[in-house]
Amino acid sequence: MGGSLVGDVFNMNSHSSPALRQAFFLRRKRINRVALTLSLIAMLFGVFWLAWILWETVRLGLGGASLALFALDTPPPNAEGGLRNAMLGSFLMVALATCVGTPIGILSGIYLAEYQERSRLAGCVRFINDLLLSAPSIIIGLFIYATVVVYSRQFSGWAGVAALALIVIPIVVRTTENMLALVPASLREAAYALGAPKWKVISAVTLKAARAGVLTGILLAVARISGETAPLLFTALNNQFWKVGLDGPVANLPVTILQFAMSPYENWQQLAWCGVFLLTLAVLGLNILARFLSRHK
Amino acid sequence: MSEKHLSSQFDSDLNGISSQLMEMGGLVEIQIQRAIEALARFSTVLADEVVADEDRVDAMEVTIDRALTSVVARRQPAARDLRFLLAVSKITTNLERAGDEAHKIARRVKSIVEGGEIRNMPIGDLHLAFDLATDLIHRALDAFARLDVNAAVSIMKEDNIIDREFKGFTRKLITYMMEDPRTISHSLDLLFLAKAVERIGDHAKNIAEFIIYIVKGTDVRHSSLTHIESVIQ
Amino acid sequence: MMQNTVPIANPLSGAFSGTGARAVPVSFPGPLPGVPPASVSEPLINPATTGKDAPAKIAVQNLNFYYGRTQALKEISLEIPAYRVTAFIGPSGCGKSTLLRTFNRMFELYPDQRAEGSILLDGENLLTSKRDVALIRARVGMVFQKPTPFPMSIFDNIAFGARLFEPLSLIDMEERVEWALRKAALWEEVKDKLSSSGMSLSGGQQQRLCIARAIAVKPELLLLDEPCSALDPISTARIEELIAELKNDYTVIIVTHNMQQAARVSDYTAYMYLGSLVEFGETEQIFFKPRRQETEDYITGRFG
Repeated sequence: MGGSLVGDVFNMNSHSSPALRQAFFLRRKRINRVALTLSLIAMLFGVFWLAWILWETVRLGLGGASLALFALDTPPPNAEGGLRNAMLGSFLMVALATCVGTPIGILSGIYLAEYQERSRLAGCVRFINDLLLSAPSIIIGLFIYATVVVYSRQFSGWAGVAALALIVIPIVVRTTENMLALVPASLREAAYALGAPKWKVISAVTLKAARAGVLTGILLAVARISGETAPLLFTALNNQFWKVGLDGPVANLPVTILQFAMSPYENWQQLAWCGVFLLTLAVLGLNILARFLSRHK
Repeated sequence: MSEKHLSSQFDSDLNGISSQLMEMGGLVEIQIQRAIEALARFSTVLADEVVADEDRVDAMEVTIDRALTSVVARRQPAARDLRFLLAVSKITTNLERAGDEAHKIARRVKSIVEGGEIRNMPIGDLHLAFDLATDLIHRALDAFARLDVNAAVSIMKEDNIIDREFKGFTRKLITYMMEDPRTISHSLDLLFLAKAVERIGDHAKNIAEFIIYIVKGTDVRHSSLTHIESVIQ
Repeated sequence: MMQNTVPIANPLSGAFSGTGARAVPVSFPGPLPGVPPASVSEPLINPATTGKDAPAKIAVQNLNFYYGRTQALKEISLEIPAYRVTAFIGPSGCGKSTLLRTFNRMFELYPDQRAEGSILLDGENLLTSKRDVALIRARVGMVFQKPTPFPMSIFDNIAFGARLFEPLSLIDMEERVEWALRKAALWEEVKDKLSSSGMSLSGGQQQRLCIARAIAVKPELLLLDEPCSALDPISTARIEELIAELKNDYTVIIVTHNMQQAARVSDYTAYMYLGSLVEFGETEQIFFKPRRQETEDYITGRFG
């Protein structure tokens, strides 16, 4: 008995029989194949809807695309028109919101990553920033409505800019902080070791090293706000006339799309699809640019 | 050597070298004993055995050298290990030369026996030196095995006795030769044998010096006994 | 060559940097010129911890170092000789890098780290110095384990540090950059692509770039924190060759895991264990016949 036990122990330490090994191997192979198939199905499920959405957008959007889209303003029902005023309005507000939100976001990100990583204030700021980041944009729209629109007694492009900027800031803060944190400590130390003061280390070395990531964050923020409807609904509202400037209600793509798509008029619905197509194209372009930037320094 | 290396392979390399050196030492010891016995008994058979062993000793020296080269090349030894390997290299050379001396004694014994005039050799005077030399080589190897510096110092002291014996014997031979020129050729044979024994003692002393080198890291060649004793303290 | 034309405009670099350094003999007959005599003539330190043949550039006395509540260095006292290469060896966590990082007060970047005791650089206590830490760091260059090229051109990498302290004209700066790159044995490889990114160089070249960048500030002391641990043997050999050159002009301290490297490049070796200095002496002595059994065990690989 003792002898057989010792024999078993010995067998376990030595190689198991080839047949057994073969069986194990085949089993593993089968499991592998099943797992691979399942994840493939899941992936195809997701891609299917995405492709469908894109296809519909392209099909219906391209269908009505013409030069008039860029030359004419939003029309009354059943008349010919384009999206010129909405595009300009969107462009102006997005550009201005980015210009306002980005520096604030970057500076706050620098503060969080480089100056007060572990202080209580930084912890609070980080927490609130994360809240803002995940807050539904309609809340931000309502906030600006309550604080700006109500007091100024009119919807305006400026209020729209403010709402969009409030969405940009938390995104930029987050990405800037994360990207700065990714810069290896040794790089920072190397700069300090040369006797560089803190602002010089940050501006010339760490921020530069994190440049691609920070830029990517900004682009993603731009992509996000260019499609936001809810905050603009309460702030910039809409306008069917051509206007260069941000006083008073300003036409913009998302709200126009909303309004036109919900309407019973054929030409408006067509224009809504065109707007969707343009927005999709712009966001796609920004995403591709972001990818490109994050890959190449 | 005390305490183990992180690499047990390194330990076994060093231990291998150590035991090869002891084996070589054993061979040389036997060579010397046989050579002395051959002389005492004027035995050409024993002398031939000594001559035959020479090749084995040489081969061992080559083997040990190769092992040393390999360890140095692969392990970059430092401190005590480095001193040990350097010392082993020198000790093999000394052992090989001690073997050479035994070999010389054996060949001389053969030529004396073949010359036929063996009766009136006063070899009895050499016995003390012979015994001492054999003993010193044995104790030197022993001290190496135990890395015993005190034993090494006593070996160095006793080598001085052999040297004194050799000087006294030389003077004696000179007297013989002056008294009776017919003894010159025998005396030269004896002088030659005595010189060989004295050399064996020197090699034992050198080995003892390298033991101190391994343990204390001080090169005590060409230094006085008092200095050596102060090193050991 | 370039050296003679570079104006020694750096007021921080003391008496021994720049052209003057070349003329300074290996051993000084008396107190160093321009140095408070205290660091040389007064027997500040237990002689057992001192390298004898060269004057001390850095004298560490009773240094204790803490990471929060953990003591990382215990009562370290030693004198680093000038114009020599000193190596710190020891197992991971023994405090050798920590000790190195006290010499340019690098630890101050992290709020929970502190040092007690004194570190005299030419007689001036670095730990209590009222001077701006940047000025100290300009005198004490440092090169890190991983090559750390800045995200800028090769030229700007080298000029970065020099610009901080010296208002050099473009021509002077070009000369300085060439001088530093030549010193770091990198000039021939990069002279045609000074405007390309420092990141585009190979690992070994990047490390030499970092050495050149440190030299360009004209420090007196050069701290190398495992400079070759990320490099292949050929790049390592280049850097080691470079270290041998550098000691003509700088006091070099190198931390290394590689004992053979310490044996190859250094004149003095300090063996540290668990935050204490176990033994400090001439490299040859340390690697041939260390005084302490602990050192011997570590050197011969009996440590465990």
